[in-house]
Amino acid sequence: MDVSNRFHGLLALPIDPETGKDLCIICFQCERICPDRCIHIEAEGKGKERVLTRFDIEMDKCCYCGYCVEVCPTEAIVFVPHYEASTYNRDQLLYNLDDLHRAAPKEPIARGIIGGRVP
Amino acid sequence: MALRTEELMLNMGPQHPSTHGVLRLVVTLDGENVMDVQPDIGYLHSSVEKMMEHRTYVQNVALVDRGMDYLIALNNEQAYCLAVEQLAGIVTPERARYIRVIFDELNRIASHLVWLGTWAIDLGATTVFLWCFREREMILDLFEKVTGGRLHHVYYRLGGVYADLPEGWVEECGAFLDYFLTRVDEYETLLTKNPIFLARTKGVGTISRADAIAMGASGPVARASGVAYDVRKAAPYEVYDRMEFNVPVLTDGDCYARYLVRLTEMRESVRILRQALLNLPGGEIRARVPMTMKAPRGEIYVHTESPRGDLGIYLVSDGGETPYRVKIRAPSFSNLYALTEMMKGWKIADVIAILGSIDIVLSDVDR
Repeated sequence: MDVSNRFHGLLALPIDPETGKDLCIICFQCERICPDRCIHIEAEGKGKERVLTRFDIEMDKCCYCGYCVEVCPTEAIVFVPHYEASTYNRDQLLYNLDDLHRAAPKEPIARGIIGGRVP
Repeated sequence: MALRTEELMLNMGPQHPSTHGVLRLVVTLDGENVMDVQPDIGYLHSSVEKMMEHRTYVQNVALVDRGMDYLIALNNEQAYCLAVEQLAGIVTPERARYIRVIFDELNRIASHLVWLGTWAIDLGATTVFLWCFREREMILDLFEKVTGGRLHHVYYRLGGVYADLPEGWVEECGAFLDYFLTRVDEYETLLTKNPIFLARTKGVGTISRADAIAMGASGPVARASGVAYDVRKAAPYEVYDRMEFNVPVLTDGDCYARYLVRLTEMRESVRILRQALLNLPGGEIRARVPMTMKAPRGEIYVHTESPRGDLGIYLVSDGGETPYRVKIRAPSFSNLYALTEMMKGWKIADVIAILGSIDIVLSDVDR
């Protein structure tokens, strides 16, 4: 079913097509703002070597408020138009980094910053 | 030999489909006459007030959305944002205040449509239900285009709204309003002069003006009993003071009057919406409020007119990032307690008609 281009669907982490890496700069803002505390981020290394080792989203806890998408400074986390996430097993709702990469569409529909940006 | 008679205690609910949620009515019956009705609540208690103490002011917008009345998410956000903004002295830009009024009124229409549809289906009129939800679907589509959500939006932010209206939305909304007014007339052809509907609602479940005030009823329930009180007029918030609209007041206090009041309210909402869409100013939609805002020490009580009545938020701040205490004055809760007065002396078959007419949402009652 067609949804609006601002639809709060499932979450995804698109990979930067230029560098082939994550857009995430590991600022932990989404983890901090999440009202349900369902985002868990861990990273290793320093400076430019710093890489994500863990980016888990517990989609069973997620309330689809969109704060993480809003605060992200690099639009590394986006909403996708898919909304059917039902499973028979709760474990399958724990999305890790690979799942979130796979979920990313070529054209993410809901971008973080639409209106007046708040620093 | 004389037959022994006694009063019968009957539990209606919590799984009864006509209680609109998990509500138990303990009905005392003498034959089929209702002697007493005691609502038993708490099945949907989610401790929203306590949970709000553990979330920051910004995060709480996402909580009042679904933790309170789930049919009027935007009106809940309105009450909460207004309370925090007044406490912290945040000034909302003009455009955002107009947008908020637009969405409050659209949500009011959507909520009234759910009420009309479900109440009519309680009374056996299935078509009304289908027609009402057809129009409500269009409102939800309008919501989705702007907020990204259909029921739970998290659209209002402290100091404004999240995103501006997309191109063409104002015209689309205007076109919907023209269409919607003709549909309201259509609902009326099904119900207003329908003899079966009249027999089941006219003069049924009356509550006097004095009782309505004494039980703390507000909103359409109170206005159907002659209490001319609407927070949008009595203590205007956002830009309601600039809008021209009437507050429908009837004096009968029966189910039929409550039906007429809500139907007129939908038309008045369309009037407000048209003015707001016409006078929508340009400019900013959001004041600069940090995501980790702190409210100054103090307390505030703010009330707004939600589709069900007087929705109040009492907020105490100790100067930190989270509220120290929140109390929600839920309109459904007070209206539910007026039910006991309305039910006395009616037949068991009227219980459903009277219960449906006060328009309660159990997540609002229990919080």
